[in-house]
Amino acid sequence: MVLKTSAPRKGGPGRGTGPEGIDTIPLRYGDDPYVWACWLYYEDGMTQGEIASAMGVSRATVNSYLADAREKGIVNISIEPARLASLTIAQELKRHFGLADCLVVPNGDDSRPLIGRLGAAGAQALSKMIKSGDTLAVAWGRTILSVGEHLEMGSLQDVTVVQATGGTTASFAYTPELTTAAVARAISARCVNITAPAVVASAQMHDMLLAEPLIREQFDTLARANRIVFGISSLRPNSTIHTSGFFESVPLQHYLAKGAAGVLAGRFIDERGRPVAGPLDDRTIGISLEMLRGIGTRVAVAGGFDKVPALLAALRGGYVNVLVTDAATGAGILRADGVTSLDGKLSQRQKSTPVANSYRSHVKKFLNNPNDVVEEMLDGLIAAHRPYLQPIGTSHRALVARNGPRPGKVGLVIGGGTGHEPCFVGYVGKGLADAVALGNIFSSPPPDPIVKCAVAASGGAGVLFVYGNYAGDVMNFEMAAELAEERGIPIRTVLTTDDIASSPVEDKEGRRGVAGNFFVFKVAGAACDLGMTLGECEAVTRKANDRTYTVGVALESCSMPQTRRHNFEIGPDDMELGMGIHGEPGVSRERVRTADEIVDAIMDNIFKEMKAEPGDKVAVLVNSFGATPLMELYILYRRVEQRLAAKNIQIEANWVGHYCTSLDMVGASISILHLDRQLTGLLHHPCRTAILTIHAPEADEAAKG
Amino acid sequence: MQTFDNASSGAIVLSMAERIVENRAYLSEIDGKIGDGDHGVNMAKGFAMAAERLKGKDASLSESLDTLGTVLMTEIGGSMGPLYGVMFTEFAETLQGIEKIDAATYSRMLHAGLAGIQSIGSAKVGDKTLIDALAPAVEAFDTTTAANKSFGEALEALVAAAEAGRDSTINLVAKIGRASRLGERSLGVLDAGATSCAIILKELSGGARERLA
Repeated sequence: MVLKTSAPRKGGPGRGTGPEGIDTIPLRYGDDPYVWACWLYYEDGMTQGEIASAMGVSRATVNSYLADAREKGIVNISIEPARLASLTIAQELKRHFGLADCLVVPNGDDSRPLIGRLGAAGAQALSKMIKSGDTLAVAWGRTILSVGEHLEMGSLQDVTVVQATGGTTASFAYTPELTTAAVARAISARCVNITAPAVVASAQMHDMLLAEPLIREQFDTLARANRIVFGISSLRPNSTIHTSGFFESVPLQHYLAKGAAGVLAGRFIDERGRPVAGPLDDRTIGISLEMLRGIGTRVAVAGGFDKVPALLAALRGGYVNVLVTDAATGAGILRADGVTSLDGKLSQRQKSTPVANSYRSHVKKFLNNPNDVVEEMLDGLIAAHRPYLQPIGTSHRALVARNGPRPGKVGLVIGGGTGHEPCFVGYVGKGLADAVALGNIFSSPPPDPIVKCAVAASGGAGVLFVYGNYAGDVMNFEMAAELAEERGIPIRTVLTTDDIASSPVEDKEGRRGVAGNFFVFKVAGAACDLGMTLGECEAVTRKANDRTYTVGVALESCSMPQTRRHNFEIGPDDMELGMGIHGEPGVSRERVRTADEIVDAIMDNIFKEMKAEPGDKVAVLVNSFGATPLMELYILYRRVEQRLAAKNIQIEANWVGHYCTSLDMVGASISILHLDRQLTGLLHHPCRTAILTIHAPEADEAAKG
Repeated sequence: MQTFDNASSGAIVLSMAERIVENRAYLSEIDGKIGDGDHGVNMAKGFAMAAERLKGKDASLSESLDTLGTVLMTEIGGSMGPLYGVMFTEFAETLQGIEKIDAATYSRMLHAGLAGIQSIGSAKVGDKTLIDALAPAVEAFDTTTAANKSFGEALEALVAAAEAGRDSTINLVAKIGRASRLGERSLGVLDAGATSCAIILKELSGGARERLA
């Protein structure tokens, strides 16, 4: 240890004197603070705080020395190639087959037999998964017996281990009974054996045995299993399935002839994972493939190159959601399923020693089950915004404003995918939208909730649909419009097309709707609330859309809850100009510039189209795509205001914040609504929603006074 | 004349669903390059939901297609929900009440599906959409039967044309949908819709071919 260097400085006032500290770099580090910091960190094992004291610099400086040292190649971190390969393969298997988890043991360690290493890994996987109160089904086999031998868990309560198939002759050590008992013993669980043979002489015998109360009780336990661990057997000539005596060889030939590729828990599947029918089916006592697939955690432990086709079949059939295998087998499975990128990844990673700075493989999010995000968000949202809206019937995908629809008033229905919150749902309430239909993330709602919204919003004077111009939304809303009209509700539609970066001006109708929706909805809502006719509402909404101009810029793309990875990568020094709100790439990629330069580029584009005269009035929306903070939005707004002031254009109203987002995208958009007298009046019309509340003018005057 | 049985062919739809679910990650990945990366997730959700409803029902092919079409149309949303929804519903309507499906019926079914899609979407061949896989596949089927080849050979030609059509989208610039706003940047990437369409046609026609008698 080199603590002597730290002693005189520790906690002393010398801490702030960075340069002085570096002046006294001990000779053995040359003249290089990076090398010094790295040595203390990697070789002497000091913490960053200790190093800061030793060097007389701040912790932040130490942190950046260490990071820079990796970038400069002073420090190379290498992972032992065999282990790296197994990690890469595990990740690829998990991704390719949508597994919940995957553990791949490295090859190249030939000191222990594969079965033993798979058993140890399987035991490790199980010990992470089994919880008190579980029922674990166990299928027979050499590998699974090895799992039992390696497993050791002491502190669980109320775990039941149940045999997944009937029994076999005890001519080998890994019978179903012994395998199940070994696993049960290792975790001190209650052991339930199936006290019938795995294969019986006839279908009648099968039915008779299953009718026995004792065996039925054992099967009831099996049906309660919430986890299962099983091996996978190939049908190659020398595999255990032939030598074990589990099956007679004549029926086996039958299954082979019908294309069986593998066996799990005594059941045959073909190369796609489909069940293969044969003479043993109704003579086999044990878990069915369908039961197996219904179990929540399905751990397969198997390896060896001859098992590649069988494993692939089981993966394709969805029988496995946690896989434990070895690197060679894993790579074989991927290649057999046409994954060609693997070789590139393996060789490339092995030769490139400096590991990239981005050590994170996924984005952190507050999630329960990623598949439930939309439902769970809507539960919370409806509870939070109860004063403004409520579900139509039982579905949370169609919501109606409280006190919104009323007889004689044109109804306003908006909607689109989720992931844009507070759009669209934040704009539902009195004086704005009457109802909103919501789809999955970035995906239009189907027609049904839209029709429900139209019916709920209808006050007998027709309903106006306003939504963004996307192929999916157009199809679903058009179908909904037809269905609503069949029910006698006249429908008019205005598509929002405010994103001026998305198509040239000649193709204005092809543009997409983005954050400028906010203005279009506001104007439409006011028109409806003022009792204008359906035709008038449509016309003024169309005018608002025609006079709304938006351009967005993204610095980082967003990540979907299901993948938790960025939809695409934007380089470290790049930005996407003309960004939409669905995580799709923008119109062009450019180098990041200063905030003012970015605003200038956006405003130049807007000014090109917006024919504003000095003295004209506009409304401004500076909108975050999700992850960009208000601090930066105000910096953008500052420049927007300067550019408008320079042209003597007045800002009648402004909004700065999160109004139409794209999950966690980093970026912002600027929208300008070019006002006229009518639009100004409609913009100021009172409304009350979760996100936007505008008071009646008298109240405003009173507040000013 | 070769035919296959409507009543006993419902399982084709189940295996189609399995293929789509298997390819969930792949479809989302290619979609993410120029779209919003949810194609696989949404497709898998819809097909799995339909498969769930069909499991153990022993439904005919036309009934199974109808269930699939209805689920996609009413529960999935997005653009693929209505497009594939209408395609499968049209398939189902053509086959309804037919006991033995021959090449002429199969062709009618394909045309009805294609017309259904074109009635709600405006895409043409070359726009980098699922039409690039579907339209040439239908055409190849017709040309092969017109040349007095068997139903089985026509199905093979259909699958080959669908896959060639899918591959052609790599060199196309998107004209429709979200990717269309990317212009030239959409070059060099497969279209996710054409890819899923090729999977669907391969499974449907492969399943039919296995059952020909």
